Amino acid sequence: MRYVDYVKDQIPCILTHIISMLGCLAFLSAARVNNGIIEILIAVWFLVAFVYLNTRYFFRNRYFKRLLSMLDHLDQKYLLSEVMDCPARADDQIYYAILKASNKSMLERVSQSGREKKEYREYIEQWIHDIKTPIAAMQLIYENNKSGLTKKLLIELEKIRNYTEQALYYARSDTVEKDYLVKEIVLSDAIHKAIAENKQLLLQSHAAVQMENCERIVYTDEKWISFIISQIISNAVKYSEEVPSLSFQAYSERSRVTLCIQDNGIGISESDLPRIFDKGFTGKNGRDSQNSTGIGLYLCNRLCEKLGIGITVTSKCGQGTSVGLDFPKGDFFEVRE
Amino acid sequence: MDRIMLIEDDSVIREELSILLQSNGYEIVLPDSFTAIFEAVRRYIPHLILLDINLPGQDGFQVCSKIRTFSAVPIIFVTARNTDMDELNGIMLGGDDFITKPYNTSILLARIASLFKRAYPSKEKDVMAYRGVILHLESSRVEYQAQLTELTKNELKILAFLFRNAGRIVPRADLVEYLWDNQLYIDDNALSVNMTRLREKLRQIGLTDFIQTKHRQGYMI
Repeated sequence: MRYVDYVKDQIPCILTHIISMLGCLAFLSAARVNNGIIEILIAVWFLVAFVYLNTRYFFRNRYFKRLLSMLDHLDQKYLLSEVMDCPARADDQIYYAILKASNKSMLERVSQSGREKKEYREYIEQWIHDIKTPIAAMQLIYENNKSGLTKKLLIELEKIRNYTEQALYYARSDTVEKDYLVKEIVLSDAIHKAIAENKQLLLQSHAAVQMENCERIVYTDEKWISFIISQIISNAVKYSEEVPSLSFQAYSERSRVTLCIQDNGIGISESDLPRIFDKGFTGKNGRDSQNSTGIGLYLCNRLCEKLGIGITVTSKCGQGTSVGLDFPKGDFFEVRE
Repeated sequence: MDRIMLIEDDSVIREELSILLQSNGYEIVLPDSFTAIFEAVRRYIPHLILLDINLPGQDGFQVCSKIRTFSAVPIIFVTARNTDMDELNGIMLGGDDFITKPYNTSILLARIASLFKRAYPSKEKDVMAYRGVILHLESSRVEYQAQLTELTKNELKILAFLFRNAGRIVPRADLVEYLWDNQLYIDDNALSVNMTRLREKLRQIGLTDFIQTKHRQGYMI
């Protein structure tokens, strides 16, 4: 609370004192009281009022400062009314009661929408698990009835599967720490898994795939990392003009293992590059093709953050894109909240 | 013949998976109902069980731990839920492997085959023979009239696939897909190169025109 603001608030009080002083002065002069006595009286009055106003300012200021610092230290600011003491002054108590009542109603809303969100997420997860059974059935039907037609259907089915996976990981990305198992895995296993998931897409586009030095051990969750690599593969195929070519190379440095995934696609323009991890950002490539959702890379970045993997993308228009994944070495690291 | 029991509540998957496994040389048995699973296991004595986790009435975990009280038959869990907790649960309760739906059928078949190998080591088949040509899978060699030649990984897989489909035309696309399933990422051109080299090697041990090219259709032995 600034002193000037405080004084402004006290103007009615100050005015009352001044008017009373003037009235007193007039009355005492009319009663022919000695001027010296009047001066002393006014001076003492003035002094008492001044001290009162300033003392009051001191205490009020201290009280609000304490409240503000309490608010500052609170993680969830809306919980202030739960932690602050009940004030002593009558008008403060009214504000306190108002604050409590409004917070209570907001807390109810917050917990209700939290509950709704959780239920919704659970429903989405359940739905995705349910849809997987018919997808598996359709794959088996293809396997038993191979023909040109069923092959075409299978390619579309792979896309459906890709999108449902994306939705599942999106729904789960809030709670990675609940479904996370760091294991010692061989990087090439995760890459093989991701390639297998995009097999039809890659075969249909006659893609060339190369793997070099990928038999390296990293400590991470196999399921999540396969999903991330799978997204990168599907991007590489989606944004290619000629026959796609993908190369996986891994390097080991002192403190980390780096996996570099290089494609020969159309690349990303320099102006779009800083925003590719933003949710819903599709950029120039997205406007040119119809299938961009702006979710894939956003999810990759988010999951990498949670898994403690560094992700970097370098690209030049028309010269392909290269994605680097940095796995920290060492056998222990924590999931970031 | 290796006998697999399928415990799966989705009728389409049950049917199609039966066809797939049968065409890959397995015998399939199904329990009459989900309440009579244990009787069926005792009666048919399967060599391997494919067990769905989501079953009506009880879940696959309970079924697995009950089967474990009287049998050590290898069990593969099959599920649409892919959380690590489920996987851990499955392994803790005595499952031998864990596969999530929708599964890549070649991965499923490979897992089944490798589990069979692990559980019944004596049954290993590492030799394939057709028209006097013997393919040694373990040592990656092909033999004809006591002459041997070494094969590369790609050539071995190509030949193994042709042997498995002996007498039938194998389309190039199927061959490429099979190689991809075996983590050999070969494109059309590379397949032609490998094919030429393979034929040259076969010629050296006295096999000319062993692999025929069917124009616009594929290869056949």
